[in-house]
Amino acid sequence: MEILVLIKQVPDDSVEVKLDPATGAPNLNGVEAVVNAFDTYALEMAKRYIEDNGGNVTVATIGDDDATAALRTCLAVGAGKAFLIKDASFAGSDTTAKAYILSKAVAKIEEINGAKFDIIFCGKEATDFSKGMVGVQLASELGVGVATDVIAVNPAEGGVTVKQETETGYNVIDLATPCVVTIQKPDYDPRYPTIKTKMAARKATINEITAADLAVDAAKVGEAGSLTKVLKLYEPPKKQAGVKIQEETVADSTMRALAMIAEAKVL
Amino acid sequence: MDFAEYKDVLVVLELDEGKPVNVSLENIAAAKSVANGGKVIAVTVCENAAKAAIEYGADSAIVIEGAQFEAYNADAVADAVAQIAAEVKPAAIFTGATGKGKDLVPRIAAKLATGSVCDATGVKLDEAGNIVFTVPAYGGTILTDVVIDSVRPQVASIRGGSVQKLEPEAGKAGDIAKKAITVADDQIKLQIKEAVKEIAESVNLEEAEVIVAGGRGMGSKENFDKLQELADILGGVVGCTRPAMESGWISRAHQVGQSGKIVAPKVYFAFGISGATQHVSGMIGSGYIIAVNKDEDAPIFDVADVGIVGGATEVLDIMIEEFKKNK
Repeated sequence: MEILVLIKQVPDDSVEVKLDPATGAPNLNGVEAVVNAFDTYALEMAKRYIEDNGGNVTVATIGDDDATAALRTCLAVGAGKAFLIKDASFAGSDTTAKAYILSKAVAKIEEINGAKFDIIFCGKEATDFSKGMVGVQLASELGVGVATDVIAVNPAEGGVTVKQETETGYNVIDLATPCVVTIQKPDYDPRYPTIKTKMAARKATINEITAADLAVDAAKVGEAGSLTKVLKLYEPPKKQAGVKIQEETVADSTMRALAMIAEAKVL
Repeated sequence: MDFAEYKDVLVVLELDEGKPVNVSLENIAAAKSVANGGKVIAVTVCENAAKAAIEYGADSAIVIEGAQFEAYNADAVADAVAQIAAEVKPAAIFTGATGKGKDLVPRIAAKLATGSVCDATGVKLDEAGNIVFTVPAYGGTILTDVVIDSVRPQVASIRGGSVQKLEPEAGKAGDIAKKAITVADDQIKLQIKEAVKEIAESVNLEEAEVIVAGGRGMGSKENFDKLQELADILGGVVGCTRPAMESGWISRAHQVGQSGKIVAPKVYFAFGISGATQHVSGMIGSGYIIAVNKDEDAPIFDVADVGIVGGATEVLDIMIEEFKKNK
């Protein structure tokens, strides 16, 4: 099986991101860039799939030069090849424009690899803007099937059988390949790199693909190709600072807290 | 594209045992608030659900009929909604931002070559008649206002609890049109073999007014189970963090946060929860937050209205006793 894992580099989601009052943009100073958590699950699931069934995992992202760090992280934990899809004209692309760019990139990477992809893995959403739409839109561009909230993928006759998490359990779904799956957190964690794999990833080639390589229609990428427009970013109304109670005994603290809760008349 | 032709708002109902789920009823209220003179039309596969939608404010309903809709299949439903949209030419199409709704929205939008928004927490009209969607980013610490101003319809999923549903009007009249729809075979790529129900209890975190949640700091399943007692006294529902769920103390139907549910109850109790952003992003919208943690530096205290520094189970025991007394 040839597998493509699409990833996004995002600000560390364990850090609370605020707006920079000077620029009105998210203040990402000092916030580490990481691979989107759901994409790390996707990569781990893809890696386990080829370990069990044979094949290759390629990883790709749309981004600028900074995003090579995320690709190297992926190379250190299981991806065989990495592609950076990079062009100034891609800036400001919404999910529709990104799905279009990715559909072109898939064809280009297949040409370079000399093999068609059987499964394209994406995280179910990114932890920064949580849109969760690119995978489905990409499948539509490619004219292939897509299952979302997937927690397991296994080979089946003519395709794959996937397990889709639902509110009350799961669905077992057959999908013909090629297909797209978007990954929810499974019941295992992604592997860690070793010093050896990290060293190898640092030296590995990151293949770059530009708009010219993809022959994209300029009207369909960037802000021009986007169907949604972000008017403004702002912070939600601030909560009043709360009270932290630490009396001599926990019982005293609890009674004081209960008095405050009663006073607030919230129950 | 002449926007004047696109007037109505379609609300695709999500069903639970033949009834619209709460967020679908909220979607009707959201649709009415931006209908701008157009009609609010419920779309469903179930006639009883269509009646309920009309009682909750929809002007009319379309009931999809056909063998392909007997069991839920996202490909079939998306195609049917797209077929209806091609005829009705709605200004907007809404679903709830549930697993199903979030899956459906980009499928419908892709079929109609239009724009879509996921997980909006607010809708309003701008002067030009576009819907301004409020969409949280970075786990809710930043909000964005988003419009789809060059195409129609505007397809969006709206988060439960962000719009109040309307008071139902029993027996309200409204046209229910049955529509037989056939989806081309090549449009159905998902073959659903089995729908397995693992979680028998029905947990409604999104609609709960009180959530009593626990994290790893509860220490054991036995301690964790006591949260239910407090929840029962207060008429609330038990919530949990991912680590608590992974410890096997409770099913994932109760999980709040990034890979669980986004909730906004009136009161949220956080027992033994440190306050990782992955959890906080799921409960930051709560009206009043009460946090208990033995670590006085736990980040949960930064978002709490009232914080108690102390052992979670000890505080829980006292609270159970006190709330029992005052009941």
